[in-house]
Amino acid sequence: MSERIPKGAVVLLAALLLCAPPFYLDAFWLRIGLFSMAAAIGAVGLGLLTGTAGQLSLGHAFFLAVGAYGYTWLAGEPGPGLPTGLAALLAVRLAGAAGGLFSPVAGRVRGIYLGVATLALVFLGHHVLLTADSVTGGFNGRSVPPLSLGGFSFGDDGGGLVVLGVPFGAEERLWFLGLALLAGTWWTARGLLRGRPGRALAALRDSETAAAVMGVDVARHRASAFVVSSMYAGLAGVLLALAFRRVVPDYFGLALSVDYLAMIVIGGLGSVAGAAAGAVFVTALPLLMTRYADQLPLVTAPGTTEGGVGPTEAARYLYGAAIVLVLLYAPDGLTGITRRVRTRLRPAAPAPAPATRPSASAVRTKEPTP
Amino acid sequence: MTAFLDSILTGLALGAVYALVALGFVVIFKASGVLNFAHGSLLLFGGYLVAVLHDDLGFAGALAVSVLATAALAGALDRLLLQRGDPDPKAAHVQTIVTIGVDIVLLTDLSRRIGGDLLTLGDPWGDSVTRLGSVTVADSRLAAIAVSALAIGAVFALFRYTSWGLSLRAAAEDTEAAALMGVRLSRVRMLAWCLAGALAALAAVFLAAFPAPGLERTTGQIALKAFPAAILGGLTSPPGALAGSLLIGLTEALAAGYQSELHVLGEGFGDVAPYAVMVAVLLVRPTGLFGARGAARV
Amino acid sequence: MSLRPTTATAPGRLAAAPPELRVQDVTVRFAGLTALDTVSFTVAPGSVHALIGPNGAGKSTCFNVLSGLYRPVSGQVRLGDETLTGLAPHRIAALGVARTFQNIVTTEGTVADNLMLGRHVLSRAGFAATALRLPRAVREQRAHLARAREIAELTGLAARFETPVALLSYGDRKRVELARALCLEPRVLLLDEPVAGMNGAERARTAEVIHTVRAELGLSVLLVEHDMGLVMRLADEVTVLDFGRCIAHGTPDEVRRHPEVLRAYLGTPGEETAGEDTTAKSTTAKSTTAQGTALEEVTDSEGDSV
Repeated sequence: MSERIPKGAVVLLAALLLCAPPFYLDAFWLRIGLFSMAAAIGAVGLGLLTGTAGQLSLGHAFFLAVGAYGYTWLAGEPGPGLPTGLAALLAVRLAGAAGGLFSPVAGRVRGIYLGVATLALVFLGHHVLLTADSVTGGFNGRSVPPLSLGGFSFGDDGGGLVVLGVPFGAEERLWFLGLALLAGTWWTARGLLRGRPGRALAALRDSETAAAVMGVDVARHRASAFVVSSMYAGLAGVLLALAFRRVVPDYFGLALSVDYLAMIVIGGLGSVAGAAAGAVFVTALPLLMTRYADQLPLVTAPGTTEGGVGPTEAARYLYGAAIVLVLLYAPDGLTGITRRVRTRLRPAAPAPAPATRPSASAVRTKEPTP
Repeated sequence: MTAFLDSILTGLALGAVYALVALGFVVIFKASGVLNFAHGSLLLFGGYLVAVLHDDLGFAGALAVSVLATAALAGALDRLLLQRGDPDPKAAHVQTIVTIGVDIVLLTDLSRRIGGDLLTLGDPWGDSVTRLGSVTVADSRLAAIAVSALAIGAVFALFRYTSWGLSLRAAAEDTEAAALMGVRLSRVRMLAWCLAGALAALAAVFLAAFPAPGLERTTGQIALKAFPAAILGGLTSPPGALAGSLLIGLTEALAAGYQSELHVLGEGFGDVAPYAVMVAVLLVRPTGLFGARGAARV
Repeated sequence: MSLRPTTATAPGRLAAAPPELRVQDVTVRFAGLTALDTVSFTVAPGSVHALIGPNGAGKSTCFNVLSGLYRPVSGQVRLGDETLTGLAPHRIAALGVARTFQNIVTTEGTVADNLMLGRHVLSRAGFAATALRLPRAVREQRAHLARAREIAELTGLAARFETPVALLSYGDRKRVELARALCLEPRVLLLDEPVAGMNGAERARTAEVIHTVRAELGLSVLLVEHDMGLVMRLADEVTVLDFGRCIAHGTPDEVRRHPEVLRAYLGTPGEETAGEDTTAKSTTAKSTTAQGTALEEVTDSEGDSV
């Protein structure tokens, strides 16, 4: 289809479709969308590090936490109470700086070793979140001040903003913020991948020796990839904090890191679109399962304890099974499936323009009507 | 001084148990290049079997069944889910994530069965203790050290003296060459997984024994501490895994034992101290204490 | 098609005469095994210098020292006034030393991606500028892409510029490596068996590229090759290694008559072959002399890397 329809039109159509949900869907669906968008931003960052540079990281949850808590502290009380826009910006920089502090390790430690080394970040980070009460609020966490830009608040300000007959609460407003941030992430990440740094990182992944001999400073690029990936995670953390309206330490555990890893592998390593598609899959699936599990066979209603499988558990089973099944039958992830379907449909056409892939799949997952 | 000796003994016992788990990671990684995230739930599976079966079969019988069953489960996991053709080098990456999916399913199921309970394993040591000079040690800890030492010795012997061990080492050096020499990789791999599963089941017993209150659904998370242990040793070196495990066990026990002196670092620092040690070691030696230096291959 | 970078469009290295590459008493040991034993030779500016020798003679080790992958225990490598020993590989690349590998090492992606990697040291754009697609980063990328395309044309890859490397034939991938090294606008080009595994036509073509590049850009080429016909045709000077030692040095004709060389290759004192070498000058890449074929056969099995 990319031959017949100009690329600009496809992008425009996708943008329109992505702008529609706040006018038609209720808060439950919007929240799924918001979490998916935040996850997509984080996953794109991890995709750069793992898919492109070949460095495994299990520390992504830590950088999400730095972004989320960084914003909360910088914008809130106790804390400097900065203007929220500035706080968000600084929180992203803070996550990048945290990644930079880890660069002596990130630059030298390779592949799977880095994966385990970054476990340390999650556990030490969690420990700090629990201990440093004055900044993080300890076990109970902190509530997140809503973002407001130029007088426009992305929270429930009670102002009764109504657009096209639809009252715009926090979810509706944040939806558009999320879209804008995701678009920015998409645009910058693709620029990086197709530019000089992306090529250097890919070379590093495929052969460290060849990359070095072609003039790539191996340690510096590894460390930079880690910093950039941390910054995307920080941005995702800010958006998540805004969507949750409360940050608690237990959310930012190892399971979250593992989820992000699952996202990029399920989506297909090495592509921005894949990371986004995987993020939607991993984020939305458990939420949908939990909501609709009682309509599945063998699942008992919540509350009945003995013998049966509760909806949360059913969701976990299906999530785990989905990871296994997707990877068994499509080791190159969702992007691999899309590519194969496309080549089968149009055998003569060259590789599809990747720009159209993600939006299509992202839209498809969100299309079901209420 | 007593406190110090106490910490050392605790650390050794912990380290011995970590070594059982870390050795499993190393064996699996050597054989298949996969980092097994399902190890924690394999461990929990082993412990759970002992807990359910010990009333009928007695502790020894239950343990034997559990070790065999866990080994079989690990082997089946490798054979049926991971070894599905695809000899692509990237496959190890993908298989690692598959083990995450398996872990989620297994852990969900076991957690559902265990619920909020604390299961006893009916081990023969109970809460008895032995006095060694000025320190008092739980018998279960001494047993952990003794049994782990035996098991680890046996694994080392397997590595050294059996054709499986030779094949495994050959395959880890150069998969292609080993295949050409007639090594049946898929069998070597599967046996490695079985061995790792058996070790995990064994470890579960000591993790649930006194002074731990019993087996609970979070017991499997202990496997996460064996990750740094395995990495410290270099991930491909069994002796390294042993050394790394002891280092991690001692660190944890000392940090917990001197909690009051370390209170600036926050409560429960003992639990995270192993990770701090791991980062420190990796800074100096990026491939672990015993890891191959990774000579440039051109 | 000119080989010189059209400096208006692409910032390249100005093609001044390349400095002399001097290898002085380099010794490399691995776990007690001496891979290179006080090896010395000099690649004269603008010459093609061949490094030959039987299996395990240390040729690839020597390349790895030159490109900074191995540190010698003693001796040094100098490029003009710069000392290369002790520098990290990427610094050596930045000084204008490019290399290819014995077994192909390309990255995933298209031919263009690989060639653009060769432009890495000549371009500046960092993470921030590229992510934000700043005008200067976009401009730089465009200019370098144009130059990469020129080099693809020169090496006969123009038609495959956008093709994923994984889909190319062996010979084409080998050429991608050569083109990628050329994209660095090197002053010294290290080629590790550039025609191994190629058929006759491909060999002739690669030989022609090497010849043209040297003639037009005046860069120095250090060549490891088992195709004696190619060595004899291209090389100005030849250094022969055996068991990590330099056993002979001279023009192709001198070297092929050298008794040590014949012994190293054939294991016997080879008086009987000396007379056949008069035709050497007229050999082509395809039809080697009897001696050349023998040398090739003896050494053909060398395929393992360091």
